Amino acid sequence: MSAAAPGLYLSSTGSYPRIGDSPELQVLRKTIAALDRGERTTADLLDAEHEMTRRAIADQMKAGLDVITDGLVRWYDPISHLAGKLENVKIRGLLRFFDTNCYFRQPVLTGKPVRRGPLVVNEYSFARNALGHLPTPKGKAGKLSIKPVLTGPYTLAKFSQAEHSGNGEPESFASLETRAMAYAEALAAEIGALAEYGAELIQVDEPAAVKFSEDWTIFENSLAPLIAARDKAREAGRKVEIALYFYFHDCTSLYEKLVKLPADIIGLDCTYNPKLADLIASAGSPKALGLGLVDARNTRLEDPEVLAWQIERMLSKIDGGRAYLGPSSGLEYLPRDRAFAKLELLNRVREALLGPKGSVK
Amino acid sequence: MSREKLKSLGLKLPLFPTTSVGSFPKPDYLAKARTEFSKGKITADQLRELERKATKFWIKTQEKLGVDVLVDGEMYRGDMVAYFAERLPGFTEGGLVRSYGNRYYHKPIITGEVEWPGPVTVDWWKYAQSLTKKPVKGMLTGAYTIMDWSFNEHYADRRATAMALAGLIRKEVEALIAAGCKIIQIDEPALSVRPEELPIAIEAMEATTKDLSAYFITHACYGAFEQIYPGMLELAVDNFDLEMSNNDLGLLEVFRGQPFTKDISFGVVDVHTHTMEEEDAVRRRVEQALTILSKDQIWVDPDCGLKTRTVDEAIEKLRLCVAAAEAFRH
Repeated sequence: MSAAAPGLYLSSTGSYPRIGDSPELQVLRKTIAALDRGERTTADLLDAEHEMTRRAIADQMKAGLDVITDGLVRWYDPISHLAGKLENVKIRGLLRFFDTNCYFRQPVLTGKPVRRGPLVVNEYSFARNALGHLPTPKGKAGKLSIKPVLTGPYTLAKFSQAEHSGNGEPESFASLETRAMAYAEALAAEIGALAEYGAELIQVDEPAAVKFSEDWTIFENSLAPLIAARDKAREAGRKVEIALYFYFHDCTSLYEKLVKLPADIIGLDCTYNPKLADLIASAGSPKALGLGLVDARNTRLEDPEVLAWQIERMLSKIDGGRAYLGPSSGLEYLPRDRAFAKLELLNRVREALLGPKGSVK
Repeated sequence: MSREKLKSLGLKLPLFPTTSVGSFPKPDYLAKARTEFSKGKITADQLRELERKATKFWIKTQEKLGVDVLVDGEMYRGDMVAYFAERLPGFTEGGLVRSYGNRYYHKPIITGEVEWPGPVTVDWWKYAQSLTKKPVKGMLTGAYTIMDWSFNEHYADRRATAMALAGLIRKEVEALIAAGCKIIQIDEPALSVRPEELPIAIEAMEATTKDLSAYFITHACYGAFEQIYPGMLELAVDNFDLEMSNNDLGLLEVFRGQPFTKDISFGVVDVHTHTMEEEDAVRRRVEQALTILSKDQIWVDPDCGLKTRTVDEAIEKLRLCVAAAEAFRH
């Protein structure tokens, strides 16, 4: 990196399309459909998930990213994939996920959600191994990292409900706060396990916190167990950071509060309000930022020169000059070819900022 | 309350008119034919013949059940946005994106100026109307929803996109009216997705229907209507077709605070369950509607399109709607 951008990393923001238009990219869809018909086994499903995970990782490497995810290709949706693995949680009907045209299955709590086993540790472990088996792009040796992703406790709680007992008794988990704290306890255990497995950066998504800012105190309180788990891992000698990501809503009015949260990195969707980039450039940030400047919800490709100019203004105001340029959210809302083009765009932005050979422009 | 408007259009409808939201399940022979067509095994003419056969079946079925305002059942459509995007210059078919679980669809991309190529739905409406003396609704997707459910690489922003689309949907509305259509439904299921954009949806609907002589209905579903109510009543339509049963009539409480000032097509059966409601339960939903709304305002229909039900289930759900409406006419 040049002196102009000592800490600009290219990063995934989570999901990647699990399907494409060519037959070999439809293996997961076809396997799930065949499994439903009783023509395939769960072992076949696992193979298909592995295959599409490898492809997601390969695409991110090919595009030149520094921080990669497994593409979340095994996730049914961002809510039920995690909540469904907890004890005392049933998964019910479909609801719209924010302003997307995608739907998630709603968790219903029959008691306290309890973690009895790994949520994404196995997925993280597979992705890390897969990364090790793929050819490392030139100049990236030792510089690539895999980032596990979790949906945060507040967002999980906001989209869950407590089961009605039918006897008029108040439900223990009827309150949002109780649900959020219970999920936080489960996720804190997962963060501890991920740190133990070597995860150095863990992304926690909290899109609901900016959409429903009236619950700010509940959201903020629910972070405490996660931060405590991170600190405990650090005390045990683990090097781990938590990145909190916010998207699907304008973050501008909450910016001052967001950058004071006790996470190490704050990831922001900059596409809902162009003034957010101006605000970051003027107010600065006391901690590293995830800059969601590339629109993950529309196929139009941004001008790399314009984005480079925006980043240049912001970087000097970000503490340590460390920032993670990425899509505004996960990329699964785009067709695969367009999602890959967005990843390639990230590299073009960095080139526009640094010059093609890393020289300062 | 638009009974005067209906009268002025020459439409004599009973109290609690019954209708349905738009789509019906495709009979097995048609579903199979669509697959064969996509594989090039049958011609477009052969497919169209079967679509006409299925349309006739549903028109006759609705007549037999005693439905008052009919729909063609959309035997020739797949996705409600893609159907128009595939026919309008300015759109390109995008790659597959996920809807949920293992369901994917081709999300359209607006890559150029959108244009109206001439009537898209009029021939189907004429055919359906020729099969019955009862009024058949013209069925369109609204500009705001087409905008929200498409990628945009051409227009400057979401408002500009919605307004460009409104201009061409208006031409389709005019063509339907010229063909004799008097009741036109313009679906806006994305209406409540971004509450802050309600003014755009209102502006686009105004541009679509202003000063045109028809009774306009809009259908919306799966939304946080409490966030856009009562502002949504400014939409330039006469009737809101809303899913009421899926949320246990929770919307009625929202209406209690601020009066609902338009007609309503009140969803009395849930379309997302194989379970059949009891006749009494459906009647009670109408009863509850009457605690907030006047009898002149209420139309009776299912929550949403019935295309995800089996043919038999769809027929039974429609029968329940008709039975409930008739119970209150006397």
